[in-house]
Amino acid sequence: MTALSLKNIDKNFDDIQVIRNINLDIQPGEFVVFVGPSGCGKSTLLRMVAGLEEISSGEFWIGDRRADQLPASERDIAMVFQSYALYPHMTLAENIGFPLRLGKQPKEIIDKKVQDIASILRLEQLLDRKPGQISGGQRQRVAIGRALARDPKVILLDEPLSNLDAALRLEMRIELAKLHKQLEATMIYVTHDQVEAMTLADRIVILNNGEIVQIGSPLDLYTKPVNTFVAEFIGSPKMNLFPAMVADNLTNGTKINLIGSSDKLMINTAVNSNQGLQLGIRPEHMTPSNEGAIKGIVTSAEQLGSDTYIYFNSEAKDQAVARLDGISAVRTGENISFNASQDHYHLFTSEGNRIN
Amino acid sequence: MIQRSKTQTVIVYSSAIILGLILLCPVLWLFIMSVSSTKDLTTLPLQWTPEDISFENYINLIGDVDSTSAESFLYALRNSLIVALSATFLSLCAAIPAAYSLSRLPGKRRKSLLFIAIATFMMPPVALVLPLYSAMASFGLLNTHVALIAIYCGILVPFTTWLLKSNFDAIPIDLDEAPLIDGANRLQIIWHITLPVAKPALGAAALMAVLMAWDEFFYALLFTNDVRAKTLPVTIADFAAGRVADYGLISAAGILATIPPVSMAYFLQKSLVSGLMSGSVKG
Repeated sequence: MTALSLKNIDKNFDDIQVIRNINLDIQPGEFVVFVGPSGCGKSTLLRMVAGLEEISSGEFWIGDRRADQLPASERDIAMVFQSYALYPHMTLAENIGFPLRLGKQPKEIIDKKVQDIASILRLEQLLDRKPGQISGGQRQRVAIGRALARDPKVILLDEPLSNLDAALRLEMRIELAKLHKQLEATMIYVTHDQVEAMTLADRIVILNNGEIVQIGSPLDLYTKPVNTFVAEFIGSPKMNLFPAMVADNLTNGTKINLIGSSDKLMINTAVNSNQGLQLGIRPEHMTPSNEGAIKGIVTSAEQLGSDTYIYFNSEAKDQAVARLDGISAVRTGENISFNASQDHYHLFTSEGNRIN
Repeated sequence: MIQRSKTQTVIVYSSAIILGLILLCPVLWLFIMSVSSTKDLTTLPLQWTPEDISFENYINLIGDVDSTSAESFLYALRNSLIVALSATFLSLCAAIPAAYSLSRLPGKRRKSLLFIAIATFMMPPVALVLPLYSAMASFGLLNTHVALIAIYCGILVPFTTWLLKSNFDAIPIDLDEAPLIDGANRLQIIWHITLPVAKPALGAAALMAVLMAWDEFFYALLFTNDVRAKTLPVTIADFAAGRVADYGLISAAGILATIPPVSMAYFLQKSLVSGLMSGSVKG
């Protein structure tokens, strides 16, 4: 278990700055997930930690050792690649044992270690096969096994599940969580899938345009997104953002109304009266109600069995969505209105920053 | 499988047969010539099938060690083997790291380096032969294996480098980065990963290199003058250069000269079969 520390880290490719001023402390044994849309720099950041990309400026520490000039092979960091990157000409046993072979370990120790890892990952029966002869999920496990071989202090995972089908992805996700508890290693995991991030992470780092937007526990990000980017990124279907304006400043709060609607909503935050607002409400917090302030016409309803997604055009926003439990009888073209509890309001400025 | 109409099938197969005939007929005719008597080969109209088959020409070349033709043939065979194999080995030793660096390491100047290397490969031998000749003469290397090996390396290195580079390019970069993180240095990566993965390409490069060196005639003709260094193409040409050309003997020498490269191709065929990459990255 080792702590990692990134201080004022920048990365430039020629003239283009892809990573801006990253400051991040990762605790020993922590499971940190980097998440963000594609091109946000999360993989680049991971590769900089691994030593595959140079750090343009800033400091990187592994434990109490400065590491930004250290070659990848000396960082004692293991990495699982999105493509698995198994060595096609070696058997699975040779693949897993390869880091140890490079470390000039005696053969008995390598064999023992490979057996141990294979039993953790349930690969014992396959050790004599080559990567071409096993399935995608098994390949993924071999890639993880190779990363475990050297008992690394830090394990990096670059979108490790993105090439698997949905069922296998779920299974491997649970296995990874188990493995992290078992190994107590520090792990950094890169993904664009917010469900993986929410379920695996101790802490999530949300990146956009090469900058950290927010760091926090999964539920922190869900309940208190710092801006509309995080609000829309975390949660599925994504949060509805209704443009709104202040209608009345009261002593115990503010009355606002959604643009295009005459109904007023009460919020208990003081807001500058000529400020543009966006009111965020998650689809799962919308409850149908005849007197609801959010009105619209249903454009489509997706029945998932366990719940129903209702898409509707409201006066303030096209394609808003509500998520109702169970099966709903709502039909396309119907008028519908929703309410939401004040606790579930997220208030942002029109630029997108959180107000309360 | 997609169903093909009868006409398509007929066209595909007949094209294949025609191609086969074009490739094999000369070899077959060469073999027939080599077992025919001189009389059959010189009568008019030509005797297509020999009246009696005789392997005398072969015995002349490899069986009867005391005859002059056997002496020149066997020496030439030895010279050709030494020159072709050494030149190939040395070229690959230089081409593997060169191709790796051109394929993997950063730097804009590397690209122009490859272009220059290819450009030298394109130059006609005639343009180089005079300076090379006087250089070899002043080093005292005329009529030696070393001279031919050095010249062939000059031809083979750009070619094999280019061939290997394009093959290394096809290997996913992840297969370089994974061992790097596993603790390997560049040489270990090349040795443990790149070369085994690129084995089919290595086999192909070695085969092409041996063939090019084996068949080279121009430099061999100019830079050698007796059994100490003459290679097979030159020796076979010598058989034809006398006052009376013995077609049977020439043909037998031709057939024998093809055996080493053909058998090499046969044994390398296994490693030439690709598909080795399957399962390494993704699925």
